[in-house]
Amino acid sequence: MKAWIGLLARLLVGGVMLLAGISKFPDPAANVRQVRAFDILPEAVVPTVGHALPTVEIVVGAALVLGLLTRLFAVISGLFFIAFIIGISAAWARGLEINCGCFGSHGVPANPQRQYAIDIARDIGLLIGSAWLVVWPRTRLALDNLLFPHHERLADGDETEEAVEV
Amino acid sequence: MATKPKKQSKSERAQALMREQQRRERRRNLLVVGAVVVAILIVAGVMVAISSNKDTTGQAVGTGGTPQNLTGQYNVVIGKSSAPDTIKVYEDFQCPICAYFEKTAGDQLRAAIADGRVQVDFRMVAFLDRASTTNYSSRALNAAMAVLSTAGPDAFLQFHTIAYQNQPAEGSAGVPDSTLIDWAVQAGADKDQVTPLINDNVYHQWVVNATDQMSKDHVTGTPTIFINGENQGSNPQVATQAVLDLLKK
Repeated sequence: MKAWIGLLARLLVGGVMLLAGISKFPDPAANVRQVRAFDILPEAVVPTVGHALPTVEIVVGAALVLGLLTRLFAVISGLFFIAFIIGISAAWARGLEINCGCFGSHGVPANPQRQYAIDIARDIGLLIGSAWLVVWPRTRLALDNLLFPHHERLADGDETEEAVEV
Repeated sequence: MATKPKKQSKSERAQALMREQQRRERRRNLLVVGAVVVAILIVAGVMVAISSNKDTTGQAVGTGGTPQNLTGQYNVVIGKSSAPDTIKVYEDFQCPICAYFEKTAGDQLRAAIADGRVQVDFRMVAFLDRASTTNYSSRALNAAMAVLSTAGPDAFLQFHTIAYQNQPAEGSAGVPDSTLIDWAVQAGADKDQVTPLINDNVYHQWVVNATDQMSKDHVTGTPTIFINGENQGSNPQVATQAVLDLLKK
């Protein structure tokens, strides 16, 4: 049962990260501006972080979807969501305007306060998914099961579970 | 004396075998993990390199690629310097709320400029290229700069009005260069002069850098409207009303 819930968590967390990364990848300049808008990191590292962000999202997302080194990438994704939650909270607290409200032709941008709350709630939900996978990284339909087949047998039996579990 | 292997019990031997098996297993697993991590790092490195290569932000712009008749490096100020009030706007030609601002306050703004009641500091940017299939946002700004360069600030203002009146919908194919040229001519530019500037997108790198400057100015969306240096906030209706109130005085 846990293994099936784990599969669901993998697809959800990994899927969201993968799609976010893919949608950001074509416009690196925009990612740099987005990172700068949070006004947290020093300008010297803003371009590097902006350029690396979509790649990290794609790699981590793809690894989780495939079930590759699940525990390792679940840890990384969790750290990501914690960073996002801190960044959004800080922006919210300081009254920064991160979402430009330019997309969609409704004339008035969506309420930024509400958007911050939605974003934080979403990231907390995904963080829970990551945490689940850190605790129970063995899931159904994962590449890990092919790469570390014997380990799975051990884990299924009563043997100690101290073998490399990543 | 050392115990002879023969004297080990069956279960002890089995345990030793199992331990040896586990050690081998662990070594193999670590190797697999290492190989996978190295492969992922290589792929990620290539992707990051592609990203930073693609981003030309900040690259130098030659004289041919810098628009003429700008006031500063990335702005054009229109109106008499004796005007008591200054409005500063960051706008994108693809931004629908900017078109709303133009539609709602454009006539009053141009009248106030003509009367010497207000100076307008235009900071045009292009970050909505993904909202059209033809990079309309940056091509339109390039065309506006072609008009400014060859026909001056008043023609630029004309082009600005025409472009917002005919703004293509988000998600559409924008308008072709030939239409941008038509608008430029309508605004008062010479067709032979603007055509190569528009067709070759000559100010593209300047447009990229101008957009980056907006971000460095801590402006994250358009339209962002300042009245005498004061940011009018993210609600476009409130900001537009503030401009109308100022101009009514």
